[in-house]
Formats: sequence, structure tokens, C-alpha cells
Amino acid sequence: MSEINFNIAQWRAWAPGLDSVDAWQAWSRQPVALPGSDAAPDVSFLPAMQRRRLSRLARMAFSVGWPLAEGRKNLPLVFISRHGETPRTFEILSDLAGEQPLSPTQFSLSVHNAIIGLWSIMRGETSEMTALAAAGDGLEHGMLEAAALLAEGAPAVLLVITEEQPPEAYSAWVDDVPFPYAVGLLLTPGTDWRLTLNSAPQALSKAQWPHALNLLQTLLGQQTLCQHAWKNRVWTWQRNP
Amino acid sequence: MSDLHREIKLLIIDALGLEDISADDIGDNQTLFGEGLGLDSVDALELGLAIQKKYGIKIDADAKDTRNHFTNVASLAAFVTAKQAA
Repeated sequence: MSEINFNIAQWRAWAPGLDSVDAWQAWSRQPVALPGSDAAPDVSFLPAMQRRRLSRLARMAFSVGWPLAEGRKNLPLVFISRHGETPRTFEILSDLAGEQPLSPTQFSLSVHNAIIGLWSIMRGETSEMTALAAAGDGLEHGMLEAAALLAEGAPAVLLVITEEQPPEAYSAWVDDVPFPYAVGLLLTPGTDWRLTLNSAPQALSKAQWPHALNLLQTLLGQQTLCQHAWKNRVWTWQRNP
Repeated sequence: MSDLHREIKLLIIDALGLEDISADDIGDNQTLFGEGLGLDSVDALELGLAIQKKYGIKIDADAKDTRNHFTNVASLAAFVTAKQAA
């Protein structure tokens, strides 16, 4: 068994229609699938010339990450997304299939680390930044990365996990994004939380909601335990009393 | 403002996602890149693509006068007119 310890100093989350603690509290008591929506979070804190190219995925990441980073210099960032910029990828592939020239903007922003690149430019932030795509337990692998940065002496680490609703064409393969969402965690050294990894003799039943949102429910509620299984890995999040 | 000038301004706004700008905000002789409107190198590529698509003309990215054609709206309009006449 291995474990890491940390504090979750602050968090932010966004999904269409859910942009306040109250809204998340209500959702968390009675989770429902959100209706399809083109709504994107407000990022008017960015100059117009800088935000014009941001996809909804990028806007979600910025909207949860920016307030957590406020006033903090040298804040490393761990960005996690399993599927990434699927709408951009789909548009590029559609252009290719139609033998159309590719949009340089779409192409340059379709790579997985494009968002952390924009983050670095817009904030003038040169700390360590990582972009992860780690299948079904990306949040935990991101936590591991963050814990390593904390252990190395970072006073705080920003973790952002976000998923965009993939285009319809991918629906046969992508079944873990019921609606677009983003969660940001400001992590600091401490022992409020313990995350442990065990191997499972049998798999836990598949959770109904994305794991980042299950964790949010734990953060908002009285529960002290939150478990997540992927393949033969069982991750246990424990809030210490 | 000629029709072509206006058309190119709208193309710039649309292709480059300039949310808060209208055609009237872009001067015919205003510098597009760096200073002036403040467009960057990705915008240059994107605008080149949009011009080629819209006017069915070919732009040689390596030609040394290409940079001059992209100076401002007036030079772009002159370039499009010349290419279409050729």
C-alpha cells in the first residue's frame, strides 16, 4: 500500500448552470445529468485579444484555475483531461477528410499541453506545468504529480481537471463525460487528506458520475471517504478528522 | 470604405475571432501585425488561409513581398485585386 498526504486549501468547479458553491451544493445533494448546453464560463478577466481563441475546455480550465491562482506567484500547475480538445480534433479531421486546408489556430491549440502554454503566457508563470491524459484515473495520477511537487518544496500546487463533451461522432467510445465540467483544487502540504492505492481483488461498480464530481460531493458533504476504481487500481481518498 | 475593404475587415474579424471589434474599428491603413491591431504570427497564417479560401487565390508564404501585402487592409485589398485580375 502506498499513500500521499495533502490539504485541499480551496476548490472551484464549473459545469453549465453550476457556477457557485450554492449551485454545486444543490447538485451534490441531488445529482442529475445536466441538459446539453453551449454555455461557457465567463473569462472576461482576460483581455479580449487573449481570450478570443480559447475553446470552452480552455475557458473552463481558466475559470476554475484563475481565482485559485490569484495573488500566488510561482504556482505549479497540473492539468488533467482524459479526452482533451475533442471538438478541435474533430474539426481538423473533418477538414482533412474533406481535403480542406487545416486551420493553423485549430492545429496549434489542439495539442494536449496547449492550455497550460496559454496559462503560462497569460499569467507570466514559469513554474513546472504538466498536462496529463491518464485514462480513467487521471485525477489520482495528477494528485501523485502534485504530491511530488509539494514534497519537492512547492508551497502550493494548482490542479485542474476538465472534460469537454465530445462531438457526437465519438459517443460510441466516450461514455464518461455526461456533461462538460471542470474542477480546480488548490493543494498545499498537510495531512487533512490521505490518498491510498490498493489493488483490487474484484472491481468496484462503475460510478455514475465523473470521479472529480464524486470528490466534490465528498468535499461538500459530511462523508470522509471517497473511493474510485480503475482497472485493478482502487484509490481511497480519506479526510482525516 | 470600399466594399472590398469592408469585406476584408469582416473576414479578419470573423477568421480571427475578434469578438469586441467592428469593421469601423479597423482603419484601412492601420498596421495589422505587432503594433496597431496587435495580431500575431498564428493570425497571419489563419488570415492567409481565409484570404485564399474566400478569393480563390494562391499565396506563396515564402515570397518576400507577401509580408508587405499583409501590412494593412489597403495593401491586402490591392493584393487581392491584382491577383484576381491576373
